[in-house]
Amino acid sequence: MSATVPLLGIETEYGIIRDEVDNYDVVEESMKLVRRCEMKSEFGNWAYFRERSHQDMRGFNVPSLAQDEEEDAFCVEDRKRPYSYWEMKSDRVLENGARFYNDHTHPEYSTPECSSVFQLVAHDLAGEHIVFECARLRNQDDKPGKVFIFKNNTDYIGHSYGTHDNYLISRRLPFENWVERLVPFLVTRQLYAGAGKVGSELRNNHSFSGLQLAQRSDFIETVLSIETMTQRPIINTRDEPHATQDKYRRLHLILGDANMSPYATALKVGTTRLILTLIGEDKLKLPVTLENPVEDIKAISHDLTGTIALKRTNGKTITSLEIQEFYLEVADKNLSGQCKESDWIIREWARTLDELKHHPEKLADRIDWAIKKDIFTRFIESEGVGWDDPWIKSLDLEYHNIDPERGLYRGLEQTGDLYSMFSKDEVQRAIKQPPEDTRAWVRGLAVTLGTNKIKNIHWTGIEFTDGTFIDLSQTITSADLEHLINSKKEQYPWL
Amino acid sequence: MAMNDPLRREEKKDPTPDKKDTGPSSPSVERPGRDDILKRMKRVDPKQSENYKQRTGQ
Repeated sequence: MSATVPLLGIETEYGIIRDEVDNYDVVEESMKLVRRCEMKSEFGNWAYFRERSHQDMRGFNVPSLAQDEEEDAFCVEDRKRPYSYWEMKSDRVLENGARFYNDHTHPEYSTPECSSVFQLVAHDLAGEHIVFECARLRNQDDKPGKVFIFKNNTDYIGHSYGTHDNYLISRRLPFENWVERLVPFLVTRQLYAGAGKVGSELRNNHSFSGLQLAQRSDFIETVLSIETMTQRPIINTRDEPHATQDKYRRLHLILGDANMSPYATALKVGTTRLILTLIGEDKLKLPVTLENPVEDIKAISHDLTGTIALKRTNGKTITSLEIQEFYLEVADKNLSGQCKESDWIIREWARTLDELKHHPEKLADRIDWAIKKDIFTRFIESEGVGWDDPWIKSLDLEYHNIDPERGLYRGLEQTGDLYSMFSKDEVQRAIKQPPEDTRAWVRGLAVTLGTNKIKNIHWTGIEFTDGTFIDLSQTITSADLEHLINSKKEQYPWL
Repeated sequence: MAMNDPLRREEKKDPTPDKKDTGPSSPSVERPGRDDILKRMKRVDPKQSENYKQRTGQ
């Protein structure tokens, strides 16, 4: 447990198709998929009135967001549908404390709040299994065609959907301090966190072909923005901590990719948490300042070697690898030896940067873009096609198919030559059980044992039909959780 | 917590390369499973990505 960054979470929007059917309705498919879930869950009672998505970290409120316009458009365009917008959302809170719902026509799995990186990665994997199980059940029900689910972030023609990593941090420091120290790190972490993408979706740039590091980098348009569907930023400024407002911020990062490799997820979230810890503990001096980080994030993505020269504001240049090495060195110096998990992250971060520099082919057992580079290159050589062949883009998509009989990452897992992080039992446990040391434990228990008595439910609390309320906004640490359970045990015997 | 700890298995595996061992050495990466995945890749519909259309998400 890091006291400086006590809670973590990942939200993943999945791609969904039904094959062999022309003009299938993606709204219906996503909605029916979520509704097919057989896990114990609280259905339809998400407390939207507790959301505060229009507050900006920079100290103002915005009147509307692009997602509001989408909601309005749905209501107008889809008035003929026999269900409301809210019914379409099909919100579930699962017995493991996660949220599972239909967000903007994508099934979305939001992990429960986790206290450790490994715990979080296990819950991210649990999400894959839960979503796939719903698809399997749907395919028993409905014919013709089959539903397939993709853990990726693009349809290759300009439509992107997100994978957001979230970190609870202190409000003590001004927001600017976090931003200036984070930006060079965030634009370069794709060196190991990028899921890889064949081709480019940049407007006015059709010259790139081949594989780039990341799926989302083409879609980043600004440094700071509260928006998530347009003007996507390096750092999202939505000020919605889902915790005590005057003590905490939630860093809501929307620039990252959905990783098939749990190792890549662990490195992405683990390194980010280390950097946030350094910033939160005033141990990170101002790093390099990039002249144009928004352009850089795209240029870095197009360079698989980490050696492209990036302009600094002082007139000098620096490479993406050098930026990552700077952050690694500070993390190693200040945070090594504090806990096994941090040591694992620092050690693997160092190994990965070192191999990228000297033996990039060695990354092909654990870094998504490098795995793709390896298998697509073999395929190209075998079939005599080029990187521009549509077949390669189709392989890229199929890499992210979560069906064990179809997906390319799934196929590689079965051969056993990928870095393995968790046993099946450990993932099964994350499917059924919330983290035992965070407030998600209370949410999961309420769903399991308090069914039919919940009036509404949210990250920050649970209201019951008898009018009572469990406030979770101040339950951040395991000590907070223990205190909450002890103080509420009499009122809620199931705790 | 006790669950979800890759460190436990890592202790049983061959040690990962020492981070100080940064000198060059000849790459020796054998991946026999990659031949199997070629068969699966050949079964992928070449047009699949062209038919894959999604709505913008967040």
